[in-house]
Amino acid sequence: MTTMSSKEEIKARLKEVQSLPTLPAIVTKLNEMVEDEDVTAVQLGKIIEKDQVLTSKLLKMVNSSFFGFPQRISTVSNAIVLLGFNVIKTLIVTSSIFETMQTEDVSLWEHSLGCATVATVLAKHHGIKNPEEISTAGLIHDLGKIVIKAELPEEYEKIVELVAAEEIPMREAELKVLGVGHAEIGSWLVKEWNLPDRLTMPIKYHHAPSTAKGEARLAAIIHFSDILIRAIGYGSGGDPWVPELDHDAWNKIKMGKNEMREVLDEVEDKLAGLANFTDELTQGG
Amino acid sequence: MQRLPIKYAKPGMVLAKEAVTEDGMVLCGPGTELDAAIISRFQKAGLEAITVEGHPVRLPGEKGLRERIKELEMRFSRVKGDPVLMALMKLIANYWVEQEMPPDKSQQQK
Ligand SMILES: [Fe+2]
Ligand SMILES: [Fe+2]
Repeated sequence: MTTMSSKEEIKARLKEVQSLPTLPAIVTKLNEMVEDEDVTAVQLGKIIEKDQVLTSKLLKMVNSSFFGFPQRISTVSNAIVLLGFNVIKTLIVTSSIFETMQTEDVSLWEHSLGCATVATVLAKHHGIKNPEEISTAGLIHDLGKIVIKAELPEEYEKIVELVAAEEIPMREAELKVLGVGHAEIGSWLVKEWNLPDRLTMPIKYHHAPSTAKGEARLAAIIHFSDILIRAIGYGSGGDPWVPELDHDAWNKIKMGKNEMREVLDEVEDKLAGLANFTDELTQGG
Repeated sequence: MQRLPIKYAKPGMVLAKEAVTEDGMVLCGPGTELDAAIISRFQKAGLEAITVEGHPVRLPGEKGLRERIKELEMRFSRVKGDPVLMALMKLIANYWVEQEMPPDKSQQQK
């Protein structure tokens, strides 16, 4: 047994932690409201707009070059109509995580942003509905890594040491040290947020998409986005290697040479357009 | 083909793609040769970056093609047995090589 901790033990330890991105009260309230079918985007928007700091963060994000809407989105209710409630909810819960990442783990932030960018391009090529959802899933696909680093610092150290000493991918080192990988840890969190399978499956199964219990094509897109962004070498997911390709998943989203060249072109274009993205989010006004 | 922040724009460079502002306004089409007047118009319109033919500028911190391809191969070192991923690696390498070709050569290739 090389496993130092068991999965259940890790799960229990993470549950006790207070600083984990638990649901802000506002999201609990919004979730309750959404259960009422008659609730409108305007009503939801009004609740969020009571919190001015959150509102300004949210509007900065939805107006950023990441989503790239041509028109300016000036109210939260417009943002809900355009991006959907699930995306807005995810952005609310994760906004503080992103802020920490943008300063403390720039390479993982770049990796996440890059994966999201590839996912956006692939969503377009495959005619995926609600493309903003898969973009958002790309942004948070390695959420589990952030949780490990923030909440299990000693284990994180060991993982990083193992990656360097044994030259193994971070996922393998996680399994050795924790008995569970970041994809599953990430899925424990998003489960609490009451998100649809379209967002949770790609996160939980991004390293084994053909085992996804639903939304297999979306899981395949995030799986391949992670591979492609690592291949290009944009940011870092904790180790330098391109992970194994799940061929069943690849068969669902297979692209030929010409289409792949278009994808590379569009990804490069979008990444160049995102050069000022982090500044956009952190600037006042 | 190279994407450049607008401050690196110089007269004589040729646009490889249309110059578009963040709000989607097209200022110039591909093939346009830049001159001082066009560059100042871009700056006034708030254009942040342009895509030009060839690879005219070595940006700060930018690595050479040879080094980039060496690193690309290193990243693929654990998946050498996978023909799909090996094809992807070659595709990316070729894409980078073609990007750095001067405009006249990439014309001949077409
Ligand atoms: Fe991952
Ligand atoms: Fe990743």
